Amino acid sequence: MKKIVLIFTLFITVSLTAGAQLDSIVPTRFVTSSTSVGVGHVNILDTYLSPLNYNGTEVRYINEKMHLTNMMHGNVSAQRLLQVNVSYSSNPTEDNNAFAGLVNFAYALHYQFHVNDNLKFLVGPAAEMNLGFVYNLNNGNNPASAKLYANLSASGMAIYKFNIGHKQWIARYQLCLPMIGLMFSPHYGESYYEIFTLHHNSNLVHFTTYANQPSERQMVTLDIPVSNIKLRLSYMCDIQQSHIDNIKTHTWSNLFMIGLVRDFYVLSPGVHQHLSERYKAY
Amino acid sequence: MKRRKLQHICLLLLIILSYTGFSCVTEDQFSNTPSGNFEALWKIIDQKYCFLDYKHINWDSIHTVYAAQITPSMTNENLFEVLGNMLANLKDGHVDLISANDVARYWKWFEDYPENFDDSIQRKYLGNDYKTAGGVEYCILDDNIGYMYYSSFDSAIGEGNLNQILSDLAVCNGLIIDVRDNGGGTMTNATKLASRFTNKKIMTGYIEYKTGPGHEAFSDPYPIYLDPSSNIRWQKKVCVLTNRRSYSATNDFVNSMSLLDSVKIVGDKTGGGSGLPFNSELPNGWTVRFSACPILNVNKENIEWGINPDVKVNISSYDYQRGVDTIIETARKLLKK
Repeated sequence: MKKIVLIFTLFITVSLTAGAQLDSIVPTRFVTSSTSVGVGHVNILDTYLSPLNYNGTEVRYINEKMHLTNMMHGNVSAQRLLQVNVSYSSNPTEDNNAFAGLVNFAYALHYQFHVNDNLKFLVGPAAEMNLGFVYNLNNGNNPASAKLYANLSASGMAIYKFNIGHKQWIARYQLCLPMIGLMFSPHYGESYYEIFTLHHNSNLVHFTTYANQPSERQMVTLDIPVSNIKLRLSYMCDIQQSHIDNIKTHTWSNLFMIGLVRDFYVLSPGVHQHLSERYKAY
Repeated sequence: MKRRKLQHICLLLLIILSYTGFSCVTEDQFSNTPSGNFEALWKIIDQKYCFLDYKHINWDSIHTVYAAQITPSMTNENLFEVLGNMLANLKDGHVDLISANDVARYWKWFEDYPENFDDSIQRKYLGNDYKTAGGVEYCILDDNIGYMYYSSFDSAIGEGNLNQILSDLAVCNGLIIDVRDNGGGTMTNATKLASRFTNKKIMTGYIEYKTGPGHEAFSDPYPIYLDPSSNIRWQKKVCVLTNRRSYSATNDFVNSMSLLDSVKIVGDKTGGGSGLPFNSELPNGWTVRFSACPILNVNKENIEWGINPDVKVNISSYDYQRGVDTIIETARKLLKK
């Protein structure tokens, strides 16, 4: 509420200082942005490197932005998700270790079904891009696995808002299932020497479906108003798997995360330009 | 109402999709017991070792023989010995089993043959004034023949190093490249050196990889080429000196050099080792190294057992006593012709 009052005040100031016409509030310019970090357990298998399951610790960073769009009479929202994770794991006897990391970028469009003022369901497609690696510290000519894949996924969300006292809490569950995609993978016994030094790079991109890439990402978040900020507590269950050319991989991550949520109103360039300089840091 | 029904259907579909057809991708995990570790090792070789058919090894019957030696109460030392003996049937210097305190290896590819190299005698040729660049020691012999010794392709050599070496030896009438006792290392180092001795792109062989767990599941052979270096290239005669300990990446280097008109291979047959090795591990943490990708010569023949020299020479026992390296002397005579 305070933010809306501030925005109106700014608009009035702009119109008085520049003589410009008063702009109208545009719903698509409200952006909910959050940044979270977390830690948890990871179980990694990559039979190109080792037949054993590696267990260890993962840390993850998530940045999320959501806003409404003009599509389908304003009933579609856009979600942009950036995740970065790194992990360090050990084999069962803890005498060999592996490093792993992954950057995931996802852009989803969800149609919003409003059940009532508190509950809504969001469903839609998501486009995802992933880039990462698994590095086994003991191996010679097969020390690492490169992870490069893109997916078109099905994404669904349930968002429930409720009050405790006079403050609004928001709970959210999201499920994302990669449906089809493309994935880089060497063949069963193919060396990276042959691929990158001898430049034998045919048939390295494989078409994936839910059958050979049975993966999912589930996220539960709770936004809690604390004083003047909104705290986000999250649980993430991220299952990334593939079974291509007799090479089996899985990365099973379970993490608890904590972060902050901020709501922004993005000014149009025209409004920004006419704002007094005393409101601008840049 | 219609809209609510649509909402429910969409969500139900999503939930159903996530659980029907969703399966965990896992690999059978063997137990960390003597029999579990035995089965894990046997399976790794059965599915990933690339020379079972070429070497006519009946890996199934070897399972029968060695499984009978596994007991639940055997010690780690006993298990290590049995597994090491099983791997020795592969007759492969690229196959090792590595525990915390030992390495089971197969060394008969050089142990059963004359050594044909003595570093004390070699020091007499290098003298005290030799130069060192990257992994190479080099000098000019007193008959104006250049001599360079590359002891291991594990040691990197840069383009600048090679430029300097070949510049320093440019006054020589011929060049000896000694790779005896060079057990291999990084193939790119071997290729970098070989590229200084050809003026045109040549095919040097082929590489294959396994396409699946079957013993006969291989890719089509993919040609390997040697490109001429864009830096200084040697234009005069060369002798490459080899012995049975010239192995792995050195075998690959000798294979490339043997195709060049100005090069003669002098000494003993190389030890071989044409399988590019991969690593894996057992439930008890022991690491196994094994040949995974065979490299073939230009005739698509396997060079796993080694490459014959152009001029076969052994260091005679008389020359050993005199402190003379017969192989170097033979190379010097060839280069003066």
